[in-house]
Amino acid sequence: MESSATTSSKISLPQGTRIIGRWNGGRYVIQRLLGQGANGVVFLVKREKNGKLYALKLGFDTLDIQSEVNVLKALQRQGRRRGAAERDLNYLVEVDDFTYQGREIPFYVMRYVQGEPLRAFLARRGPRWLDVAGLQLLQQLGQLHRSGWVFGDLKPENVLVGAYGEVELIDYGGVTSEGHSVKQFTEWYDRGFWGAGSRTADPAYDWFSFAVVCIHMLAESALKKAATQLPQTRSRSDLLAIVDGHEALAPYRAWLKRALHGEFSDTAEACRLWKEIVTRRITPRRRTRPGTPGWIVGAFAVSLTLLACALYLTFRF
Amino acid sequence: MKQIMLITDGCSNVGESPVMAAALARQEGITVNVVGIVDYGTIGELGSQEIAEIAKAGGGMSRIVGTENLAQTMQMMTRKTVVQTIQQAVHKEIRQILGDQTVSDLPPEQRSQVVEVIDELSENSSLQVALLIDASASMKPKLRAVEEAIRDMMLSLSSRKGESQLAVFHFPGAHSGEDAVLDMDWTSDLGSARSIFQRLVMRGATPTGPALLKVMDFMRYGTLNEHGKSWREKTEGQDGILGDYVV
Repeated sequence: MESSATTSSKISLPQGTRIIGRWNGGRYVIQRLLGQGANGVVFLVKREKNGKLYALKLGFDTLDIQSEVNVLKALQRQGRRRGAAERDLNYLVEVDDFTYQGREIPFYVMRYVQGEPLRAFLARRGPRWLDVAGLQLLQQLGQLHRSGWVFGDLKPENVLVGAYGEVELIDYGGVTSEGHSVKQFTEWYDRGFWGAGSRTADPAYDWFSFAVVCIHMLAESALKKAATQLPQTRSRSDLLAIVDGHEALAPYRAWLKRALHGEFSDTAEACRLWKEIVTRRITPRRRTRPGTPGWIVGAFAVSLTLLACALYLTFRF
Repeated sequence: MKQIMLITDGCSNVGESPVMAAALARQEGITVNVVGIVDYGTIGELGSQEIAEIAKAGGGMSRIVGTENLAQTMQMMTRKTVVQTIQQAVHKEIRQILGDQTVSDLPPEQRSQVVEVIDELSENSSLQVALLIDASASMKPKLRAVEEAIRDMMLSLSSRKGESQLAVFHFPGAHSGEDAVLDMDWTSDLGSARSIFQRLVMRGATPTGPALLKVMDFMRYGTLNEHGKSWREKTEGQDGILGDYVV
């Protein structure tokens, strides 16, 4: 459920529709529908000029979509100044309007990223892959936070995961500058919904949503039950109880509690502690696997004794 | 910036026309939004027509929703109305400079700058929202949800950078002639939204028009002295206030 779900206009365009930009004249052909966000509909399109695939978002409202574009532009500017990796610079391709049935529909074109939503990824790869995807996601959030932004509408559907856990955040409609009120959020992942704090954008708002996403992925039915109880009784302690009570969440327990309380000094620390969980889960096994069985130790001792005896006997005579 | 949000589940049946009252409000710079609540059923042809017309006259939006979507809808409308009000002001400026153009007519580059300004103003402008709740008998089972939605709205408003205040009224009052009852005076304190409807006496009549006029009166005169009074609470740790009501 989106906080702004009630936009009246529906846009449904059939495959093969050609979208021509009013200002820049860019031409794109719709391949298929990719998804729907609160502010618009996203299509997979092919650019006529070079035959490459892109994702194109048609917006319901000029102001909303422009506001989103402004965030993306600011991010790119900041990324460029910092000299971030090349792939992050080409996110936004172009911004334009499309005249459809006498109406101007704003759109923007972004790079197309192949991947599947977090839930599908974990279902296919197994829940242990949350270690990898989670770390990547935290790093992405950290990048945003360092530039003074908060993602806001963090939920499993907005996390796209590549084949080996590479994470891409999609739908920047909720991205809010720190200190402002969060532009867009979804109930379950919203700090305010759980009575656990304000809706003013700060990094801790994203940590909270991240923790609920983890709980959702590993203990869904418990989360659902807690979320649908009476609002007066719903609170952060319900989430803490789930974290305590579910075996699947045990490895992340301490981390999740800190996230729900917003008790990291910054997102870099949250990242570091997550990394510690992930590596701690791996190292003990490495230590036990090459562990030498008792009988070999015994046999070795016996052979040493024999050698000693043999040497003794040899040199004695 | 001033808004009235009317929450109702049916048709007015007493007194002045609510559509006229809304038109008057608009003249005074108050936008009127209307939410119609339906649970298991419809609001009726007449009811939904009136709801749409009140909003139209009041320069606002109308939506018909179930109680589960009430909180979201109220927040969405408030937010959009703030943006629209600012947009209208900005449009006026643009028109003076560029002739008959709107933001959508601007090329993307300039549009980007204008929207940046609109966003910034929307976040920082001060805002007053008066909620007017229909408390006729059929609304009774929905009032819990309404109260919850008000609390949630309060949380969102207090997260804004700009000054935000909320007041709550219900109608009709206990006696005939009492068109609207003040349940919560202008506040930005979450704690005060805990139990809003205590002095509720359900009555059959639905004097939507007179109630709207009453609220306008309050916004006109009642606010001037109050303004800025309950302010410090917002800046002082919101967590404290929140923790309060969570328990």
